[in-house]
Amino acid sequence: MNLNLAHLHLLINHFPTIGFIVGLGLFVFALIGRSDELKRASLVIFVGIALMTIPTYMSGSAAQEMICMVPQKAPNAPCANPGVSREVIETHRDAALLALVFMEITGAAAWLGLWQFRRSSRPSNVTLLTVLLLSIVTLALVSNAANLGGPIRHPEILSDPDAADATQPAGAQPAVAQTATGVRLGLDSGGLGKFILSVPWMWPVCETLHFIGLSLLLGVVLLVDLRMLGVMRNVSFATLHRLLPWGILGFGVNVLTGMMFFIAAPEQYTQNGAFHWKIAFVLIAGANALYFTMFDETWTLGPGDDAPLTAKFAAVSALFLWVAVMYCGSMLPFLGNAF
Amino acid sequence: MQLGLTVVLLVFGVTAVVGLVGYLIDRSAARNDRREGR
Repeated sequence: MNLNLAHLHLLINHFPTIGFIVGLGLFVFALIGRSDELKRASLVIFVGIALMTIPTYMSGSAAQEMICMVPQKAPNAPCANPGVSREVIETHRDAALLALVFMEITGAAAWLGLWQFRRSSRPSNVTLLTVLLLSIVTLALVSNAANLGGPIRHPEILSDPDAADATQPAGAQPAVAQTATGVRLGLDSGGLGKFILSVPWMWPVCETLHFIGLSLLLGVVLLVDLRMLGVMRNVSFATLHRLLPWGILGFGVNVLTGMMFFIAAPEQYTQNGAFHWKIAFVLIAGANALYFTMFDETWTLGPGDDAPLTAKFAAVSALFLWVAVMYCGSMLPFLGNAF
Repeated sequence: MQLGLTVVLLVFGVTAVVGLVGYLIDRSAARNDRREGR
């Protein structure tokens, strides 16, 4: 059996829903019990799940291409497999896009809460209330997207697709249900993709902002990591820590513009090996950023102090990861098949 | 010409919004640093 992105989507598509239920439950208990440790733990879960949702959405696009293979010249034609409903898949995809948008905003607010925890021992009540409200809305949206995706089956990944129907008891649901069950609330990603491709200024705007976001992010990454490695030793980490939101803002700009590219031409990315590596590096680098956001051992570094070995390792790996992200991004047309 | 101008205006507009958000976060951090004597 050859593993593909449809398998990956089936593997990770429960993370956003289950993870968010766990995170929100923990967060509510933390607020009721006034436990700062639990608050921090739930904020970390929100950030982690927000990162994980990016490949979940992207692998979903790849799964859509595999389950409903249609020549690109006729994107609205019925799926090749008569048991697969294009409408059900697109309803699920649009709901997932709306959930993704709220998920990323919640993740950004949760990261801000973690950053404030480090700076002043507790985040502002405004941030905590914002995270609570956003996470409730996000959980509703992501649950709806999951519900809409529930009826979708993948006969194309079975070694014997006919066996799926043969194993169904009489009167049971068909391998692929033809109707979506759930609230049809979502962002029209097909329409958005057409808009991005048809409006002449959209792609160059996103491309320029992608580079500005990258510069902002990499500037902060370089300052923090070089300090850990012994450059600018007279600067305390608390001073550099204040710059981290600028790096995260750059990251946010890049997630937004990157998603624009992906929504406009998903087939350029889903089958592109360089892009798969890029996303994998982005996820690890995102987890790495949490180390500098909240851990004690870097926070206590004063002017002239040498960073501990763990911090040096985190700095070297961050430098490697972000260079790898840039390399994979630049090589999309050369190593992969984009553009 | 019109395309170039649209791109420039949008890029500057979004960058200005990002800058404003960053400035506001930094200002609140500065206020907090002063309060905690850092």
